[in-house]
Amino acid sequence: MIAVTEAAPVVEAHQVTKWFGETTALDQVDLTVPPGVVHGLLGPNGAGKTTLLSALFGLVLPDEGTLRLFGRTRAEAGAGWLDGVGGFVETPRFYPYLTGRQNLAVLAGLDGGGAGSLIDQAIESAGLASARRQKVRGYSLGMRQRLGLAAAMLRRPRLLILDEPANGMDPAGIRDLRAALRRLARNGLTVLLSSHDMAQVEEICDSVTVLHHGRVVFAGGLSVMRAEAPEPVWRLNTTDDAAAVEAARHLTGVKASAHDEGGLVVYAAQDRLDAYVLQLGRDGVALRGLQLEVTPLESLFFQLTGDPAPPGPPPAITEES
Amino acid sequence: MTLAAGRWPVYAAPAAGERRSGALVVYRLELLKISRMIQVRTMAVLGIIGPFLAVAVLRVQSATPGDTAFGQWVHESGLAIPMVVLGFGAPWVGPVLVAVVAGDIFSSEDRFGTWKTILTRSRSRGQLFAGKALAALTFAIALMVLLTVTDLVAGLAAGTQPVVGLGGQLVRAGPAAGLVALSYLSDLPPLLGFTALAVMLSVISRNSVVGIGGPIVITLVLQVVTLISLPAWAQMALISTPFQAWHGFWAQPAFYGEFLWGLVTAAAWFVICGVVSWLVFRRRVIGVAS
Repeated sequence: MIAVTEAAPVVEAHQVTKWFGETTALDQVDLTVPPGVVHGLLGPNGAGKTTLLSALFGLVLPDEGTLRLFGRTRAEAGAGWLDGVGGFVETPRFYPYLTGRQNLAVLAGLDGGGAGSLIDQAIESAGLASARRQKVRGYSLGMRQRLGLAAAMLRRPRLLILDEPANGMDPAGIRDLRAALRRLARNGLTVLLSSHDMAQVEEICDSVTVLHHGRVVFAGGLSVMRAEAPEPVWRLNTTDDAAAVEAARHLTGVKASAHDEGGLVVYAAQDRLDAYVLQLGRDGVALRGLQLEVTPLESLFFQLTGDPAPPGPPPAITEES
Repeated sequence: MTLAAGRWPVYAAPAAGERRSGALVVYRLELLKISRMIQVRTMAVLGIIGPFLAVAVLRVQSATPGDTAFGQWVHESGLAIPMVVLGFGAPWVGPVLVAVVAGDIFSSEDRFGTWKTILTRSRSRGQLFAGKALAALTFAIALMVLLTVTDLVAGLAAGTQPVVGLGGQLVRAGPAAGLVALSYLSDLPPLLGFTALAVMLSVISRNSVVGIGGPIVITLVLQVVTLISLPAWAQMALISTPFQAWHGFWAQPAFYGEFLWGLVTAAAWFVICGVVSWLVFRRRVIGVAS
């Protein structure tokens, strides 16, 4: 039985460090996830997200630091360390010569406790009812992700740990996944998910931890992150780009430059962009296209992780350019 | 049904004492997985019809496998046939057959990438190791029992005349059938030693080709080594030597010293391979490329 007080964090990592030979995969990582939230673990490839999630599952042992699930270390919890925890690390993998249902039956057998009676419910909830008798070797990546979610939910978890859960899913699947996770969180489930997609995290997470080269470079709520975020990046197509750049020079809070592939790249907050578009109209420049290229949180993510490549604009934009 | 609309299972605390039988749970599931493997099903079919085919072939051909123990008597007594099959097949075929399962039972999880899947289900590595190893041993035992029964039945079906023992004595059908069964079962200890060897190769290499092919190559090497004049102690230490221990059962008078030595040899291989397997498996990093 897991004894959890309402205030106790579900996940706690304190100064967790992990080396693989000369490589520092995790460097004094701190992480706290309170109950009932969706927490995003963000970072580019190789940032240490999967290593941290693997450590939570007990697949790798930290060289330094302490991990607690539901307030207990692994030593304190013993074989019950993962009670109440479901999820997967990297792409969920199954026995290809078994059907989706047979795979869940094997895992339910490992879980015990009547999990077998939940197989059909889980497989239907994952949207795999029509593929339940199909061998997993024929499943697409998105179907395996769904089966992975069903396998995780078979454990009736209080904590769901998901590593890049939207990988391989079609847009409808991603939309459903977001909604499902939000709904589960509303019902009290705690979700810890990793992603390198800031936009995806922005939609479903309450709080985030950003990892870069194994170190935490940001931790906090999305509202805090938004407050620290720079201006978003827009892509504009106009009837007269030169005139549009000139118009931006006379507006505060708007930076515009020509894009290599045609059109303009504009750095501006939403209200300043509105003012800019109105000004273009007054100047007789028609707008043929407007698209959000990089959200503010994506911009912040790129800054935090040292990624110089928000799509589109050149590295430095000046009002004169 | 969509992910969003799904009625997902909700949390329930595990019942007290539920985890106590963890290794047995793993064992049962491994047996289920083994039973669904196409190569195992093929083996089962061949194990049932193979002895009858062997009987048919030996009865039809006029020549006899005279260079094999009991070979010259295959036309005189049906019970000589399973002994020919045992003498020729056990040291070669037995290790190969058990390696198909034992050499794959750990490395298949590497091949399918499923260690992460099963190690996130509240089962300890010790439980997984014990369950898998036990399943591999069970398969070896089941295989040996199946071959004992089918070979004996096929032999009896071919004829129940007395058979000439290795000491030249005539053995009546009843005692001969008992000796056939005993001879087959005496090959079980070295077969379990080979099973442990295959498991060890499977664990260390994480590769099914090595896990399955390794014991086969070792079998071939040991067959060659037995042709070399080795000191007696070295000969007795080979895991392939106990496959011949049944010869003593058919001597006049019977002797059991080789069988007992074979038990010690097989137990030593079994324990060493088992301990090495566990030590390697316990320390493995799983789930993250190092």
